[in-house]
Amino acid sequence: MNSKIQNDIKELVEEQVITNEVAIDIENFYKSKKTSSPNRLFTVFAVLGSTLVGLGIILILAHNWDDFSRSIKTVFAFAPLIIGQLIVGYTILKKKSATWREASGVFLFFAVGASMALVSQIYNIPGNFSSYMLMWILLCSPLIYLLKSNALAILHIVFATNYACSYGYFDGNQTPWLYLVLLAVMIPHYYHLLKNKKTHNITSIFNWLLPLSVVIVLGAFVNRSEEFGFLMYVILFGLLYNIGKLPFFDNQKLRRNGYLVLGSLGTIYMLMFASFEWLWKDILRHDVEFNSQEFFVSIVLFLLALGILIYSYSKKWIQSFNLFQYVFIIFTIIFFIGISSSLFSTVLINLIILILGIIAIKIGADKFHFGILNYGLLIITALIVCRFFDTNMSFVVRGLLFVCVGVGFFLTNYMMLKKQKSRRN
Amino acid sequence: MKTIHIFIIFIVVAVAQIFVPAQMIFNKESIINTGTAYRFKTQPVDPSDPYRGKYINLNYDVRSYKTKDTIWERKDKVYIYLETDSLGFAKVSKVSKEPLNLSKDFIIAEVGWYNKIEEELSFNLPFNRYYMEETKAYDAEVAVRNNQRDSIQNNTYALVYIKNGEAVLNDVIINDMSIKDYVEKK
Repeated sequence: MNSKIQNDIKELVEEQVITNEVAIDIENFYKSKKTSSPNRLFTVFAVLGSTLVGLGIILILAHNWDDFSRSIKTVFAFAPLIIGQLIVGYTILKKKSATWREASGVFLFFAVGASMALVSQIYNIPGNFSSYMLMWILLCSPLIYLLKSNALAILHIVFATNYACSYGYFDGNQTPWLYLVLLAVMIPHYYHLLKNKKTHNITSIFNWLLPLSVVIVLGAFVNRSEEFGFLMYVILFGLLYNIGKLPFFDNQKLRRNGYLVLGSLGTIYMLMFASFEWLWKDILRHDVEFNSQEFFVSIVLFLLALGILIYSYSKKWIQSFNLFQYVFIIFTIIFFIGISSSLFSTVLINLIILILGIIAIKIGADKFHFGILNYGLLIITALIVCRFFDTNMSFVVRGLLFVCVGVGFFLTNYMMLKKQKSRRN
Repeated sequence: MKTIHIFIIFIVVAVAQIFVPAQMIFNKESIINTGTAYRFKTQPVDPSDPYRGKYINLNYDVRSYKTKDTIWERKDKVYIYLETDSLGFAKVSKVSKEPLNLSKDFIIAEVGWYNKIEEELSFNLPFNRYYMEETKAYDAEVAVRNNQRDSIQNNTYALVYIKNGEAVLNDVIINDMSIKDYVEKK
C-alpha cells in the first residue's frame, strides 16, 4: 500500500477524524485492491526484458560470425526460434499467467525476425526490407490471439507502420495496401479491449497508437497528385476527431482519447498550412486529376467520416454545434472552389481557423478546462504569427496585435480562475 | 476455445515460422548445388542494415546494356540473359521484358533508368549485398581499393550461382582468394 495513504490514515486517527476500525477497514480495502498490481508491474518488466533479449539476439547474430561454417550458422538461426516456440508452447499448455504469455510471445516475435535475418545473411539475400518485414509480421500475427497478448499487438502495429513506411516512402512510389490487411488483423483484439477493458491504461495506449500509425502511413497512399494528399489528410483528421467525439471515447479523460487530440491538432495544423496563399496557387498550377487513387481514397475517408457524423446525429449524440466536427466537409468544398480561385479559399480558411480558436476557447470556458482554453488562444496566436509571413503590415500594427493577444491570454485565464474560485465558494 | 485447440493452432503457426526460413535455405542450397556458376566483376562499398548486420554493397561492371527498346519503367522487372566472355567473366547476351525461350541462363533484375542519348538501359542485379563480419566490412572496401590501385586490371569478382532465374551470391573473390580470408591476411 502507498505509504502516503498510510501516513494520512495515521494522521486521521490521531486527529480523531476516523475511528480505529474505520482505519483498519480502509487499509484492508487498499490491500485487497493492490494484490493484482505488482503482478502487472512484473509483466511490464518481463515484456521489456524479453524485448531487450530478443533485440540483443538479433544484434549478436548480425555480427555475422565469419569463422563458423554455414551449417553451424544455420543451427544458430534456428536455435532462438525453437527455444521461443518451446516456451510459448509450454505457456499455452500449462495456461500460464499473463506475464508468461506476454514475455514468451515477445521473445518468439524477435526470434522469428532473427532467424529470417540470419538466413538471408548466410545466403546473401539482398531481400528487400519491406518484404522481409511483412513476412515477419504475418508469421507472428496469430500469436496475438493465441496468447491474448497486448505487447504483441503493440509490436504488430509498430512493425506494420514500419513496414508501410519502408514500402510506401522509401522503396519507390508504391501503395502499401497490405498495411490495411495488417491493421484489420489486429482490430478484433482492439475491439475486445474496448469492450472489456475500456478504462485500462493498455486500451488508451491503443487509442493513441492506432490513429498515430494511420496518420504516419496515410502519406504513403499518395501517388502523384499531392494536392489530393493534402485533402486526404484534412479528411482523415476530421474522421479521427469525429471518432474521438463518439460518447464512448468522449466521456473518457482527454489523455485517453488519442483520436480527439490527434484529430484536433492535425486539423489545425493542416488548416494553418492552407491559410497561406502559396498552397492554393500551387494547387492551381497543377491539373487536378479526378481519376486518381488519391481521389478515391479521399472519397472513402470522406464517406467514413460523414457516416460517423450522420450516425452520431441519428443517435442524438451531437447536442451543440462544434465546428471542429464539420471542418472536413467545409474544407472539401473550399478545396474544390480553390481549384478555381486562390484568394477566396485563403480568406475562408483564415476565417475558419479564427472561429475554431474562438470555439476552443468557449469549450474550455464551459468545461472549466484551462488546457482547452489556452489551446484556443494558441490557435489564434498561431494564425496571427502565420499572417505575419505573408502580409505587409507595419511593425507597429504587428506589435499592437501581439500585445492584444498577450493581454487576451492573461485576461481569459484570470477570468476563468476567478470564476472557478467563486464557483467553489 | 479449449487449450488443446489453441495449442494445435499454435503448432501450425510454429511450423509456418520454421518453414519460411527453412524454405529459404532449401531454395538457395539447391541453386548452389545444381546451378551454374558465373563470375561478375565488381567493386564493394560498405553500408549496414539494422537487423541483418553489416554488408558490402557490390557495384557490378555488368550494369547496363545497349538496347533500342526505349520504354522502361523504373523498378520494373527485366530478364537478363547471360553468357561468358573470353576471360570467363559474365556478360549480358540479351535483355527482355518477358522471358524468352533461350537455352541461356538468366536473372531477373530491376530496371534502373534508360539513357535515351546513349540508348543504354541501366539495371540493378538482385545480388548486390555480401554480408560480412562487422569488423571486416570496411577493411574489405579498403582492401579492394588498394588492390585496384596496385594492379592494372580489376580482379575482384563475385561468384554467383544461377538457376531458373534465381541467384545466390556465394563468395566475393579478390586475387583468387575469398574476400574474408583476404581481409584477414592483410
